[in-house]
Amino acid sequence: MYQITCPHCGPRAQTEFTYERTTDSIVDPAAEPQTAMQALYTRANPMGLDDEIWRHTYGCRAWMVLTRHRVTHEIHAVKAIGPEALP
Amino acid sequence: MTEATSIIALPAAPLHALEIWSNPQCVATRVHKALRFALPPMNRSAANASITLMRFEPTVWLAEGDVSVLADTLGDDGALTAIGGGIVRFRIAGPGWRELLLEGGVFDTSAAAFPVGATAATVIDHVGVRLFAESEDACIAYVPSSYAQSLHHFWDEALPLLGA
Amino acid sequence: MSGPTRTPSGEETVPFTFDGTTYHARPGDTLAAALLANGVGLVGRSFKYHRPRGIMTAGIEEPNALVTVGKGGRAEPNTRATDLFVYPGMVAMSQNRWPSLSFDVASIFGLAAPALGAGFYYKTFFGPAKHWMRYEGFIRRAAGLGNAPTEPDPDNFSQRAGFCDVLVVGSGPAGLKAALEAAEAGKRVMLVEQDSAPGGSLLRDPDPAIDPAAMVDRIRALGGEVLLRTTASGYWDHNFLTLTQRLAEPGEVPPHGFAQRLWHLRAGRVILATGLIERPVPFANNDHPGVMLSQAVRSYLRRWGVLPGKRVVIATNNDDAYLTAQALVEAGADVVALLDARASGPAAPAGVTVYHDARPSSVTGRKHALRKVTAVIGGSEQSFDVDLIAVSGGFVPVSHLHMQAGGKLNWSEEAQAFVPGETPQACETIGAALAPPPAPAVAPAGKAKKSFVDFQNDVSLADIDLAWQEGYRSVEHLKRYTTLGMATDQGKTSNMVALSRLAEKQGVSVPQAGLTTFRPPFTPVTMGLLAGAGARNAGAHVRRIPLHALHEAHDPIWQPLGYWFRPRAYPVDGETLAEASLREARTVRTVAGLSDVSTLGKFEVSGPDAAALLELVCATTVGKLAVGRGRYTFMLREDGMVQDDGTVWRLAEDRYLLTSSTGGADRMAHFISYVRNSLRPDLKCSVVNVQEHYAGIALAGPKARGILAALIGAEPPRHMGYAPGVLAGVPVHVLAASYSGERAFEIHVEATHADKVWQAIEAATRAEGGAPYGLEAMELLRIEKGHVVVGGEVDGRSTPHDLGLGGMLNKVGGFIGAAGLTRPALSGPNRNNLVGLVSLDGPIPEGGMLIQRAGQSPQGHVTAAARRILEGVPIALALLQGGHRRHGEELIVTSPTRGEKARVRVTAPHFYDPAGERYRD
Repeated sequence: MYQITCPHCGPRAQTEFTYERTTDSIVDPAAEPQTAMQALYTRANPMGLDDEIWRHTYGCRAWMVLTRHRVTHEIHAVKAIGPEALP
Repeated sequence: MTEATSIIALPAAPLHALEIWSNPQCVATRVHKALRFALPPMNRSAANASITLMRFEPTVWLAEGDVSVLADTLGDDGALTAIGGGIVRFRIAGPGWRELLLEGGVFDTSAAAFPVGATAATVIDHVGVRLFAESEDACIAYVPSSYAQSLHHFWDEALPLLGA
Repeated sequence: MSGPTRTPSGEETVPFTFDGTTYHARPGDTLAAALLANGVGLVGRSFKYHRPRGIMTAGIEEPNALVTVGKGGRAEPNTRATDLFVYPGMVAMSQNRWPSLSFDVASIFGLAAPALGAGFYYKTFFGPAKHWMRYEGFIRRAAGLGNAPTEPDPDNFSQRAGFCDVLVVGSGPAGLKAALEAAEAGKRVMLVEQDSAPGGSLLRDPDPAIDPAAMVDRIRALGGEVLLRTTASGYWDHNFLTLTQRLAEPGEVPPHGFAQRLWHLRAGRVILATGLIERPVPFANNDHPGVMLSQAVRSYLRRWGVLPGKRVVIATNNDDAYLTAQALVEAGADVVALLDARASGPAAPAGVTVYHDARPSSVTGRKHALRKVTAVIGGSEQSFDVDLIAVSGGFVPVSHLHMQAGGKLNWSEEAQAFVPGETPQACETIGAALAPPPAPAVAPAGKAKKSFVDFQNDVSLADIDLAWQEGYRSVEHLKRYTTLGMATDQGKTSNMVALSRLAEKQGVSVPQAGLTTFRPPFTPVTMGLLAGAGARNAGAHVRRIPLHALHEAHDPIWQPLGYWFRPRAYPVDGETLAEASLREARTVRTVAGLSDVSTLGKFEVSGPDAAALLELVCATTVGKLAVGRGRYTFMLREDGMVQDDGTVWRLAEDRYLLTSSTGGADRMAHFISYVRNSLRPDLKCSVVNVQEHYAGIALAGPKARGILAALIGAEPPRHMGYAPGVLAGVPVHVLAASYSGERAFEIHVEATHADKVWQAIEAATRAEGGAPYGLEAMELLRIEKGHVVVGGEVDGRSTPHDLGLGGMLNKVGGFIGAAGLTRPALSGPNRNNLVGLVSLDGPIPEGGMLIQRAGQSPQGHVTAAARRILEGVPIALALLQGGHRRHGEELIVTSPTRGEKARVRVTAPHFYDPAGERYRD
């Protein structure tokens, strides 16, 4: 079980998080069908670092991008995404 | 064990989700003025005699108490939504509350990680709960109503384990 | 009298039974120590060959002495007698023997031995299937361990989160020192020890300079946590470990109702002080009671005061066994010979004859002990009459956790052992595990056939040789073919012995031969512990609806629906489910009924951009809704398939209520959050999940409008209208929505006040001749009306067009799934379309396949079957290839699994009031 450093809550157990998708498979609602399906079905799937969207679903419910190594499971960086963080 | 740890379901209270989506600094100033205290930062709480604000999410506070004074401060920058019907509050009181909340949990409830006044949303025995460290002797748990009876039973069963 | 003994000291106060005989143990005895103390050397029968087995070790690595302990649902099979501390009244039974341990039919007739060599299972598959059928019955009777209890486990299992700066695994001298140092440095320390006492090797080889108990006290005084009977059983990512803690001994009634605890521990740093496991020595019949590891002999002597044998031979390839000779001499045993495989060794205790270049080749035994050891000394054989042989084939560092953490191993040629090396996690190994004593490789001297390597799975050197002969070269193949290392001990005593043999066969060094993967758990874990409190209720909490108690008073049939429980029907006067639901549905069609719909997904969406968000989430238009109006809507996945449906209502200028299906509520909450926060963080809006804030009550039927008007003192909104109101003094939202096909309303009320509102509506409804209805009646009503249900017709493979909803799509596009819908295949002519079916003969089997004639591939399937509520004709909803253009066609519904069939005619999926006349007042 990973330990993920939530940008809002600090280090928390993976149990509180859900994986969404890699950033290269985000489908822009305004995208042309060809582009949208490309994003949905064609992914880089690198054997190494990848950027993944996760949500602290059972914590602060916020979304973030993890830069995670797909072989060693090392998490190199976590970046908050979503509405502007408030003071 | 010196004194017992207890779990008490509290009576229903007015609870609202206060969400701010724009102009956070301006709203914060207006709220501060109206409440006479600043919006608490992430995973912290702040209160006056009639209302407690607990921040569990980057843009959302749980407001417990009388929110009438807040309505005018939000304008088009935020909203209040009633959620109290779906939440049961438990007061877990006594010297063992930090230990009890480790049962079925994944969150570090030690005083260093979760000091008095802090708030945290986490999972206990697969149920999403929100915690508020009310004092060194008590914690309030906000539990989805549908799970309240079952989780209460889970805690009651675990009580004899404290210190074991 | 030969065999194991102990001189009574008066402390033998703990009564227990083994195979029905009562014995007495001293406090602190393991079952193994207590049995040896009572002269019991034969403890079990082996897995395949039913060979008599005794106690080989004094620790968790024990492969032979497995017992079932405890009674009824509390019984724990396959428990190591060496890892089980005797408590008063303990009931232990031997395993895998019939009719008794000392008279076992399978072993006496040698039934198993010839048939069950390496690769036996694989080989049987090459023969005719009927042979396998015959073997199988035989194997099931012959091979085995203890039986799993058939009753539910009466005990609870705790799961607890743990956090520390430093976790130390193992309380031997190195572990104690490391834990104390960390505690003194102010760290949050946790020290875990699988034994019931701290000390590790000190329990066997005491050191006057180290007092384990005092060190534990000191660590605790500094705020550290020391857990005994706790095994670090798994090492996972990011320094996360699972610890299994015995709160009571196996089979014991636990003091607090909890038998064990599973710790989910996150450690800043992990120190592994896990020590060594001694290697056995292969020779013929080396599995007989009376063959014991050298260090185990010392443990029994010094820790428990048990003399495992009186006339002893020691066989070793290292210096450590000389300490055993010393301990035996001190205890008054006769050490007949010390066989050292090496050309030279240290000085032996006085009176002990040392033979160099000496290896045991075979032993013979009696019931509880040995009779004779035969050895090859130099080039000649010599025999010794003894009751015990203490063996040491070298030492294996316990590197399991290190390896689970992703570590590397280094080969020590001198010790013939793998030693923990680098690790990618914040983890280090210390102590004896880093420095196994020198112990050279020794060629086995006995016959391979009965020289056992894996005692628990009955794998001998001959099995390894056979696997090699049959072409199994890699260690992974060897393992699977022979089942070596695959027993509950996971090869703790066998892997290195086997690996040496394989390397010898391959003509390579041991590290070149390779290692199999180390996997958690380190020692076996009770299944209930992994389930925790969820061992009951299928692993999940039951979610209670707010009005649970009110419904309970009607004694309904409850229906599990996801995690929820909802009333399925309210039978009266002994009605069956079918009778009650049909009566309830008829009541709705002819008078009025009320039903609990509290579990619906509900989201309040507010803010200036609320409509913009909803037009992304919903595939229908939302923006044009006037305040006080609502509409049916559905949501798509990005690939264009319908994922959920519900209704959307404009409560106020900047505030909407969106409902979705019960089963999809959590999924929808996540989806909306993704769209709002991840895709469109710029939107000025707030989405709040109010599923549990509001209880929902559906009121439906021709008299519903009148009943509601009287209750709220106002004209209720027209169909698909919304109005706030006050009912029984409680503020409510009235949504004029219909699922049943009748004029109907959903009344949503803050859950804490729902009981008053339900009671008022129920009383008024009953006064008009109506009644509450449950899920089953709701299902009859919606099938007749042709409304789809998520999880039924909405099966994740249906587009809006497939379901006949294409006309409702937002023409402007811009919603999630719009792009996916443009894929050409989704508008192909042969997609599964929603249709109705009317029976031309009997009932339509639910789930049945649609075909034109017998023997044809199915062209669709029945998603829901029912009857016309008033007329009684069997009808169904179905998904049918090209169904939209096949209305009028005759088909066969067949359910081979139920043996049912019906002829049907394809129709539109609306059987009842297709024009919606009944919604109008």
